[in-house]
Amino acid sequence: MNFEKDVAIKVNINGIEIRSTVAAAESLLEFLRKHSETVDVKCGCSQGDCGTCTVVFEGQTVKSCLVLAAQANTKEIWTLKGLEKDPLMQKLQESFVRHGAVQCGFCTPGMLVAARGFLENNPNPDRAGIRDALSGNLCRCTGYQKIVDAVWTVASEKASERV
Amino acid sequence: MSDYYYVAPTSVGESLKILHQSDSKIRIAAGCTNIMPDLKNKKNTDSVFMDISGLEELRGIQSDDNIIRIGALTTMNQILHSEVIEQGATALHQACRHFADPLVRNRATVGGNLANASPAADSVVPLFVLNAFVTVESMENGKREIPLADFLVAPGKSVLGPDDLITAVSFSKDTGVKSCFIKFGLRKAMAISVISIGVALKLDDHTVTDIRIALGSVAPTPIRARQTESYLTGREISPEVIKRAMEMVKSEITPISDIRASKEYRTHLAGILLRRAVEGALIEGGDIV
Repeated sequence: MNFEKDVAIKVNINGIEIRSTVAAAESLLEFLRKHSETVDVKCGCSQGDCGTCTVVFEGQTVKSCLVLAAQANTKEIWTLKGLEKDPLMQKLQESFVRHGAVQCGFCTPGMLVAARGFLENNPNPDRAGIRDALSGNLCRCTGYQKIVDAVWTVASEKASERV
Repeated sequence: MSDYYYVAPTSVGESLKILHQSDSKIRIAAGCTNIMPDLKNKKNTDSVFMDISGLEELRGIQSDDNIIRIGALTTMNQILHSEVIEQGATALHQACRHFADPLVRNRATVGGNLANASPAADSVVPLFVLNAFVTVESMENGKREIPLADFLVAPGKSVLGPDDLITAVSFSKDTGVKSCFIKFGLRKAMAISVISIGVALKLDDHTVTDIRIALGSVAPTPIRARQTESYLTGREISPEVIKRAMEMVKSEITPISDIRASKEYRTHLAGILLRRAVEGALIEGGDIV
């Protein structure tokens, strides 16, 4: 078996299949920003601490700086841009605006993707659950209160819709 | 940038063959939650990444009459949400809940946490009190079951040789054992523990018939507090006995002062957390943090 310096990958990003070549040690985050023009994925710390690079990778919410680009071969990735038409994402975006949960905005793409992933699997969370779900995403502006409020409001609306 | 290479074997057999035949320094890549920060901080010294993340045979939790076996690629999130683990290994369930953050837990694997051999590894302390065995395979030596106590050697060092691959970690189902894990970190998320403790105990009426205590971040590897264990065995849990045990456990650890806490603070915490963890185990499933 060959050791490859440049790895050919075929990856589905936001519903579009892309073929590309990535360096062996390149992160998925680098690939997304530099080679696939998905610059809605932000680069904060590039070592897994801040969460602003959060994407959906094979259905799981992950930090794209902690994935090797080569590992994305044959995989499906969704970023904020690709989720814009998703009804739940739209509700979250509107709620973020209404609650002033977007200040400088740098953490917002990651926050939204993490919040959506959480609400999809936990339609009826409590506030502590929301805080835990977003604990991997740092925000230096809001003090988190407004972000939790925004997500909580969407969760409550969802809950009342089901009644 | 240095030259790096990538290879993605499609079976355990192929992985072992690559490890055996290659002269290059190979780093086994799965969740990559340690590898990527290492690359960024120029701490990675290996030139080849062997990506085993596609080896489905190494993923998942199996439970038969006597043994729970966790595949090396099982993520912290999968362990956290496993009913088998929640019921049969409370301490491990609790450790996974406090492991990094929910996004990292979707990637980080139990095999990686073992291989990384950090003195602060969250999953290792509970596995220690569960008397876990690490299954290691290589082409030359075949399959070995290594007791966790023998597996860890020093910070970042285990007995793993360059040809070895961790394939699973397993432990016996021990009915009647109650366990508890407590992590003391400086934040709720993404914390490296200041100190962590795991306790597994068995009671006959009020008397301790079996107890295992392990601590993380207080020595070069997670350690068992054997003297404290033997002191508590055969005794009834009372405030006086606990007080004595709290003093004893402090003498069994060798913490250092570092960026997170002083040696003195860690020593103090070891006693406090022992009491809380024993209480937590007694309440069964009680999560005291």
